[in-house]
Amino acid sequence: MTDRKVLFEWVMQPGTGKAIELLAGQILRIEQVEGLQCVDFNCFNLHDYKEFMHCGRTRTVHGFNPTKGSFLWSAPPRERALLYILDDTYGRNDVLFPRCSAYVYESAYGFDAHTSCQDIQAEAQREYGLTPDDVHDSFNLFMCTEVTMEGRATITRQETKAGDHIDFLALADVLAVPNVCGADVMRTSNFALKPIKLTVFQATDADVASVPRVPVLKSQRTPKDFRNAVIKASRELRRDPAYVAEFTNVPIVVEEVTVKLSADEIAMLQRLRRPVYGNDDGAALRDILFTWWEERFLGAAESGAPAIGDR
Amino acid sequence: MNEKVVILRLNQQQLELLDRTIAQGVAPDRAALVRLALHEYAAKQGNAETAHDRP
Repeated sequence: MTDRKVLFEWVMQPGTGKAIELLAGQILRIEQVEGLQCVDFNCFNLHDYKEFMHCGRTRTVHGFNPTKGSFLWSAPPRERALLYILDDTYGRNDVLFPRCSAYVYESAYGFDAHTSCQDIQAEAQREYGLTPDDVHDSFNLFMCTEVTMEGRATITRQETKAGDHIDFLALADVLAVPNVCGADVMRTSNFALKPIKLTVFQATDADVASVPRVPVLKSQRTPKDFRNAVIKASRELRRDPAYVAEFTNVPIVVEEVTVKLSADEIAMLQRLRRPVYGNDDGAALRDILFTWWEERFLGAAESGAPAIGDR
Repeated sequence: MNEKVVILRLNQQQLELLDRTIAQGVAPDRAALVRLALHEYAAKQGNAETAHDRP
């Protein structure tokens, strides 16, 4: 997109990160300078740091490898699309692994001090008054991971080249915090640390128009909806003596629904029932009922989340 | 085998979902919705098994 206006340019050197105010309608490009470098990425609502990007939500909606056409979501109870991935020339990213930390390098490699994504993130976001405890799980760009048949996540080497990039379009004002992954003794960045270029563009009308519609729901709560919206300032946890529990829809009340089945229907039930329910016909039929409902009415039943856009 | 009565234990949230589905005209009542689910699920499973059995 040659008609995008460049607003900011920066090169992150190995061992560093950069906190960037990225306003809605701006694009952050994160680009390989030499290639073969993993980048960890976080972001916060610029006006309320308690809302932040959530890998779990993003993973649920878009799978283990979010790429072009995916959104980066904030954590419940906010659950807003904060960023949209407009472009991704390599197409391998990770939301399985947490950020690497000093503990990893000390426990596994014996380092007293070592570059780690936790520490780099903490130092970069300190420019905005955030603490090391405010770092959260990262979206790991250009990071190639796989899940084994035994259920373990593993890291493989990457093959990015100079110029490979990923473009994030901000849908809300955020503090974006990318960092050069500090893992030089792992295969994440093929055993070497390299610089990464950052560019902020003003999005064009065509960029903005390319974003699929996302739901706006009343369950996307903000502090105005909270029973307690005050950010806790002390570290000690103390019980509130005035607390009265107000859990949603409690008490949960069970009602019996009677269904008369014909001989043919009983045969169907016997054929379809799952062994886990033993002789409990009601539980077996209830499972069939909701499994049917998911398949017929839920867009993406397998992920337990509504389908988003046209992906 | 003759008719048999099966009792489903459902909470108010599950019933709300069923009632909203019924309100869309999918079935006339809760029992009918359950039986529809059984029939459609069985048909789908049968189709899947048939497809799977093809050489």
